[in-house]
Amino acid sequence: MWTGDIMITNPNAYDLIVAILNAIGVYNIILGFFENMGMEFVLRAIIVLVEVAAVVAFALVTVMFLSWLERKMFAVVQARYGPMVTGPRGLFQPIADGIKLLGKEDIIPATADRWIFTIAPYIVFVSVLLVYIPLPFGESLILSDLRVGLLYIIAISAITPVSILLAGWASNNKYSLMGAIRAVAQDISYTIPLAITAIAVVVFVGSLSTVDIVNAQQGYWFGVIPKWFIFLQPLGFILFLIACIAEMGRIPFDFQESEQELVAGFFTEYSGMKFAMFFLAEYAHMFAVSGIIVTLFLGGWTGPAIPLIPIQITSLVYFIIKTYAVIFFAMWLRDTVPRVRIDQLLHIGWKIMIPLALLNLLVAAFVVTAGVI
Amino acid sequence: METETLLLNVGPVHPSTHGVLRFKLRMDGEIIRDCQIVVGYLHRGTEKFGEMKTYLQFIPYTDRLDYIAAMPNNYAFVKAVEELAGIEVPLRAEYIRVLVMELNRIINHLVMMGSLLLDLGGSTMIMYGFRERENALQLYESLCGARMTFNYIRPGGVREDLPEGFIPKLNEFIKDMDMRIVDYEELVNGNEIFLMRTKNIGVISAEEAINYGMTGPSMRGSGVDYDIRKVEPYSIYSDLDFKACMRMEGDSYARYLVRVDEMRESLHILRQIVDKLPEGKTINQRYSFAPNTGAPSAVTSYFPRIFTPAEGEVYSRIEAPKGELGFFVASDGTTKPYRVKIRSPSFCNLVALPKMVIGLKIPDLIAAFGTIDIVLGDVDR
Amino acid sequence: MAWISKNWAMIGIIKGLIVTMKHILQIGDRKTVTVQYPYERMKVAPRFRGKHAVDEDACIGCGICETNCPNSTITIVKYGTRWFPEFNLGMCLFCGLCVDACPMNALKMTGDYELADYSRESLVYGPERILFKKEVSK
Repeated sequence: MWTGDIMITNPNAYDLIVAILNAIGVYNIILGFFENMGMEFVLRAIIVLVEVAAVVAFALVTVMFLSWLERKMFAVVQARYGPMVTGPRGLFQPIADGIKLLGKEDIIPATADRWIFTIAPYIVFVSVLLVYIPLPFGESLILSDLRVGLLYIIAISAITPVSILLAGWASNNKYSLMGAIRAVAQDISYTIPLAITAIAVVVFVGSLSTVDIVNAQQGYWFGVIPKWFIFLQPLGFILFLIACIAEMGRIPFDFQESEQELVAGFFTEYSGMKFAMFFLAEYAHMFAVSGIIVTLFLGGWTGPAIPLIPIQITSLVYFIIKTYAVIFFAMWLRDTVPRVRIDQLLHIGWKIMIPLALLNLLVAAFVVTAGVI
Repeated sequence: METETLLLNVGPVHPSTHGVLRFKLRMDGEIIRDCQIVVGYLHRGTEKFGEMKTYLQFIPYTDRLDYIAAMPNNYAFVKAVEELAGIEVPLRAEYIRVLVMELNRIINHLVMMGSLLLDLGGSTMIMYGFRERENALQLYESLCGARMTFNYIRPGGVREDLPEGFIPKLNEFIKDMDMRIVDYEELVNGNEIFLMRTKNIGVISAEEAINYGMTGPSMRGSGVDYDIRKVEPYSIYSDLDFKACMRMEGDSYARYLVRVDEMRESLHILRQIVDKLPEGKTINQRYSFAPNTGAPSAVTSYFPRIFTPAEGEVYSRIEAPKGELGFFVASDGTTKPYRVKIRSPSFCNLVALPKMVIGLKIPDLIAAFGTIDIVLGDVDR
Repeated sequence: MAWISKNWAMIGIIKGLIVTMKHILQIGDRKTVTVQYPYERMKVAPRFRGKHAVDEDACIGCGICETNCPNSTITIVKYGTRWFPEFNLGMCLFCGLCVDACPMNALKMTGDYELADYSRESLVYGPERILFKKEVSK
């Protein structure tokens, strides 16, 4: 964190891999081998690629698991079983879905803009994967501890509306365009309370880096209650949660996927794998956004340390447990409530959440400058 | 600035039109300015069949009108035939008829609640509704052999008596249903998002409802206290204690609440029937078949092979779960009716939809349309 | 929307969430009710109206079932030396009027409902096919 003119950097995954290799004793050998050829940057690139591959693999496996989990949970709430036939208890259902979608014919409308039509789903997916970079999975398990991590996350989340507009525009279908415009309106109007509430957290911490935010939540009050920001800012947590559910496009803010109300969503003209990309992006986004909620409000990877197990692994486990708790809540909410109408959605976003978020920020700023916390 | 209205076609194939129904909407931006309803995609010529089949052969066709709750259709036609021919029905048969009809009312309202919530996005309610419906349909299966097209009520009584073990299972169903209605109320009634979607949406005043010819729970949601079971009691309804459920606001939420109340009243009626069920014959001696199940209560006289009621015409109506279902039967002394005209509740309720919906947006059309509770078999016949 | 300021606590949604949670944890009587067809099948009731069965000894070929059928499903055909009904199950309403009308109690409806087939002709169940129930004991 930045304390004047001295910058203390937190360890990230690169340092972790170097430390592991040092512990084994191989690092110096490999480094020497590359230095002899004068290409030590290749070693750095290889280590970074390994990290990136691990995160992307984790994201893809998580996406598959989440789509299975969503269907099973939806089914249990409705007193039925869900997928049971493909694999044990239906675990291979996402694979079966993927194979089916791969086999579909890839239709591009004749009057559509071919390049943008093809690229738009991939832009959505890549922009969601980019959010995984400053996400702290555990102690020193972070791809890159950006000094402006939180700002980076909010900025990358703003690419999604652009790509949705590209998808809607490229379909050359006026109903898709209308659907895309509405999706963009929903995204924008819920990014603002999200950003304001995130700033209220930053006011408490004093730094935008995600690892600093997690570190500021370590420790306990009275030895029992962990120092998570949810206890300091309950209103902020609720607002952030609602804004995130709206960003993800889940019920109750599920306007895009209701064919009953909207004649066509922005993904109407898509088929096959491109269609699948939008939905994979949705699940990846769900995990990433839940990770952000956990980082900001639920203490990130902090938790009681268990002796004999390295803290990296326990912190990863705590992070995953907390993230899945938030995801469980989002799915639970989806199963219970109906949708909100589009104009009511915008009404809530602009007229109710922004004043409350500003109030939250005001109280947080007052509390910090008055020296209470 | 001159603008033009957009013609939007909510086509016959659509997830929320509950069947094949087409709306032609004139939209000014988001607001609906005019709504035209195009029906007829499910027309099967039922009334024409009435002229070609005998009175007994027509009863399976009445099952297919309102296929979600088919017993009242059977009963409305049979009541008309009984009035025409002057047939008397034994008391036990009347009790059994009211029992199956009130059970049908419950399962009809379950489907309405479920499909309304499904259109609005909360898809758990329809699964709960169908879980309860399954129990009721198994009761019907043990009673008359079919789950949807019952063909159970005949002129002179019912087809056969209740099987053994029916009353205990019915009691279990009633007890189960009591608990589930509490679940549904907690899940839906207070839900703020549901209130946001249905309060003050699709308002129709009492006078307008009467003028449009709406009947049934949709009309009673606007404050008109008219229930045919109270106004012209038929069968044994004058001996039963129940109230006609009514709300005053006239919006979608009121119509929804009327149906939840009606489910409770139907359970109350079922309990009374189970207590009061008399012994006796289940069909008028002259008009019974010998049903082939080998049951000891089979009687030995046969339905007249040539059943010719006297010449005349009659219009008889009942309170079906969706509204007033009326059959006009005209006989010319032969074995086949001269004319059968069906006054179906869904068709007459649907006419009021444009009035409710003009000035609102498409999501409101979906919410208002779901509370009128139509089924296309009834609209198109 | 002004009522939101009165209902800000969202109690209704919380109550709904509790109902859903009760179903997830399956407390009370809220268990899963799916029957995984075709691995498990439900039992049909004794009175179930499925495929027909004609008792060879009792049927006299009178044709009353044919007259009473609303949909002209039944035709009486010659089989050997006797006359028996033939059912076109593609047109049958499964209403059971033929069963009610038979004067000899020769006709009944079994609990067989898995009757789907590949062509319309194969849905015509003549007397030589699975439509014979011979009484073997008195």
